[in-house]
Amino acid sequence: MARIIRWLGRINEGVALVAGLGLLACVALILAEILARRFGAPIGGTDEISGYVMAAVTSWGIGYALTERAHVRIDLLRVRGGPGFRAALDCLALLSLAGVALVTAWHGWNVLEKTLGTGARANTALETPLWIPQAIWWAGWSWFALSAVVLAAGALTLAAKGRFESVGDIAGTEAAT
Amino acid sequence: EELAVVGSWSGLPLHKQYETPFWTEDLPAATDGALTATLTTHDQMGIDGGDVYRMLGDGVFDVGMTVADYAVADSAALEALDVPLLAEDAATARAMVEAARPMVDDIYADVFNAKVLGIAPYPPQVVFCNGEITGLADLEGKKVRASGRMTAKLLEALGAEGVNVSFGEVPGALQRGVVDCAVTGAGSGYSAGWWEVSTHLLPLPLGGWDPVVTAINMDTWNALSETQQQQLETAVAEKLQQPAWDAAQDALENDIACLTGNGECPSGEARDMTLVEATAEDTETAREALVGEVLPDWAARAGDDWAQRWNDSVGQVVGVTIGG
Amino acid sequence: MIAFTAIGLLGLLALSIPVGIVLFLLGFGLDLFFSPFPLIRGLGQVVWSSSNSATLIAIPFFVLLGEILVRSGVAARTYEALNTWVSWLPGGLIHANIATSTLFSATSGSSVATAATVATVAMPQAERLGYDQRLFSGAIAAGGTLGILIPPSINLIVYGFLTESSIPQLFLAGLLPGLLMALAFMAATVILCAINPRLGGPRPHFGWGQRIASLADLLPILGLFVAIVGSIYAGWATPTEAAAIGVAIALLIAAQQKALNLAMLRDALRGAVRTSAMVMLVVIGAYVLNYVLTAAGVSRALQNMLEGLDISPLATLFVIIAIYIVLGFFIETLSLMVATIPIIVPIVVGLGYDKIWFGVLMIILVEMALITPPVGLNLYVVQSARKGRFTDVMVGCIPYALVMLGMVGLLIVAPWLALYLPSTF
Ligand code: NA
Ligand code: NA
Repeated sequence: MARIIRWLGRINEGVALVAGLGLLACVALILAEILARRFGAPIGGTDEISGYVMAAVTSWGIGYALTERAHVRIDLLRVRGGPGFRAALDCLALLSLAGVALVTAWHGWNVLEKTLGTGARANTALETPLWIPQAIWWAGWSWFALSAVVLAAGALTLAAKGRFESVGDIAGTEAAT
Repeated sequence: EELAVVGSWSGLPLHKQYETPFWTEDLPAATDGALTATLTTHDQMGIDGGDVYRMLGDGVFDVGMTVADYAVADSAALEALDVPLLAEDAATARAMVEAARPMVDDIYADVFNAKVLGIAPYPPQVVFCNGEITGLADLEGKKVRASGRMTAKLLEALGAEGVNVSFGEVPGALQRGVVDCAVTGAGSGYSAGWWEVSTHLLPLPLGGWDPVVTAINMDTWNALSETQQQQLETAVAEKLQQPAWDAAQDALENDIACLTGNGECPSGEARDMTLVEATAEDTETAREALVGEVLPDWAARAGDDWAQRWNDSVGQVVGVTIGG
Repeated sequence: MIAFTAIGLLGLLALSIPVGIVLFLLGFGLDLFFSPFPLIRGLGQVVWSSSNSATLIAIPFFVLLGEILVRSGVAARTYEALNTWVSWLPGGLIHANIATSTLFSATSGSSVATAATVATVAMPQAERLGYDQRLFSGAIAAGGTLGILIPPSINLIVYGFLTESSIPQLFLAGLLPGLLMALAFMAATVILCAINPRLGGPRPHFGWGQRIASLADLLPILGLFVAIVGSIYAGWATPTEAAAIGVAIALLIAAQQKALNLAMLRDALRGAVRTSAMVMLVVIGAYVLNYVLTAAGVSRALQNMLEGLDISPLATLFVIIAIYIVLGFFIETLSLMVATIPIIVPIVVGLGYDKIWFGVLMIILVEMALITPPVGLNLYVVQSARKGRFTDVMVGCIPYALVMLGMVGLLIVAPWLALYLPSTF
């Protein structure tokens, strides 16, 4: 289990790097658009593409923030309890993350399915086939759901074995307690 | 029966003057309280205009009203409801919409699992420019902010460059030359202060009339009794659609008066933009671009069957034949 | 339903479930128990459309910009330079926190990004020099909120978008109140630390030679400001595009400082993705909750209540301000704005108030929301840069929140503070 979780973290580091490079590419595209506009030949569609990049960076980044324990949690109560209490809250947090991620990924599939069904294209001159950005976005949420399920399973296993401190290592809040 | 209704933009007159009284007062009155409504709008819910009919089809709410153009992502055929430039007055625009209605009914039933109750107009989408223009030909080489696929294609065909700028950023973009011209409803441009940053107004409907379609989820519709269906359909036609169309022509003239100072402005202080009269030659050029390039392009997107249906209906009204 | 929301929110937050997830769960619960419609079927659409946003991409851009400034040492040198100018005041380095926040605000459109940047460079100093952590970290969280009042500003872009008002005018309107509030933060710090010196820490003194020499370290940040704001006013870029220009210039600055390398870039990119994803989960959760609340009729009830009030315009304005303060405790700021602007702004304009002026007023209330628990993003980004108790940051923010309230009052008494610049230029 521990090895799987380590792997998950490493994969997510790679994912974050790719997402970051996507951001940089978007910066470059916007700069090109600004320059091209100054010379009277706009590329067009950068706004639209920025939106797709944002959706992709967000959905894939959420999984990275998860393995980095960056999602904000209010730990006023948590820090007052003992190791068992903390581990219980950590498991609860991961279970709720996994639950919400699964529900969202499930309903996200409806969006993509409908787009595939109608062959939807963006209401712009670019006419982007919407299934492309939506597939990337949906895959990000699914990955997030998978990551959360794996972490939750890991945390529950550790908690069942009574290794409460280790639960905190994969699920605690990032700021020291 | 209480219907959950999602209206069009909450800030615009169509919602405030027509939709709100209709759903809160007229409909309950017309049905002796058998049908009532809870009303909100897509912008208040924070949902995208393009999502309204998708959600309507899924039964998230019962009735949805939004600009048909927002939904063309899911159906290229639907673009045909709002072909720009062809209707210069409300009467023509209405005739076009009525001719297109059977097509729209089919599209909504097939794509959005919804039944169309009525179609009302937003004011026509006209052209604001910062800098002198004398007619449509002067748009060539200019950077123009526009929304909607067919309008963007038309601008391209006219030699202008379509630039995507959100509504709120337009005044700044006009002032500083990010764009030279921008297309929006005359009334919205007046109330958002676009007259401060633009000098010339070309009242050609380059962005079309943005018809707003009122549609009801098909399952909700089928669950209504026949009497209720009839009452609802009649009420929408008579109390929502009709008054909105009746006011459309006056609204356009008032808005132009407000922006240019030619005539009485009932909405506030009149401004002094220069009114640019499009010449017959201008209109002809634009029509050629539309008929020669933009519409055939649409026919290729939507399919020849739809082009044929358009030719036989809307085309007859305005005397245009695609591929003819 | 209101009680369910409030109790659910507090309960789930207390269980230390991630804040964004709490908002989702509340949305699900309200849908299940109070909505006659299957709102959940629209979930995917709401999540897709709220993140598919060319406006919101300014958030990762500004966070990335901050990451680059931190990792290239520019942020630290800026902090040191401002330190030589302001830290002799009672409160010491706390003034450097506020001054640095103010300066970074002029290059960042996001309060979260501003606070994250300043916290990264400043928090280690507090520990090293033995400052009282409360006021020190509170000043960063509160100073960081200036990021959305001093132009550029993502929130003003959103306000301009939703109210159909001019964004450059809004930017001009935010400038004077923003600078004034920075001064008021410093004044409040001086007063507090003069009364109780233990709230501050050492007050280093620097000679004029050092101060003059330090000015060179401010050049990169000033250059960045000129590039971002200049490109907007010169008509080269829209406010959102200016954020991308900022990232490019920051990379150039890092290269010029010989701090740009692959490892640094990799870390900066990952950091930006991490912080913005963390923020975005809360933003998306807020969209989901807002969607459910509106569909269930809460917004309509609020509007009816306000319109039904039979009181003077000023009294109505006070009611509205009170509503924002209360909602600000619980609702993330962008969604707070998205949810309320379509309801509140038409009412306010109908009362005869100026739309641009109210935009600035609302931003200050939103700044307060950023530092009020339980949903106060700036508190979290500052906390994530330090060790110690979360309550320290919360308590440290209280005096600055009071300053913000004072600023709201001042704007009501003297609207020209916001309106002078837009009407002049
Ligand atoms: Na700023
Ligand atoms: Na708050």
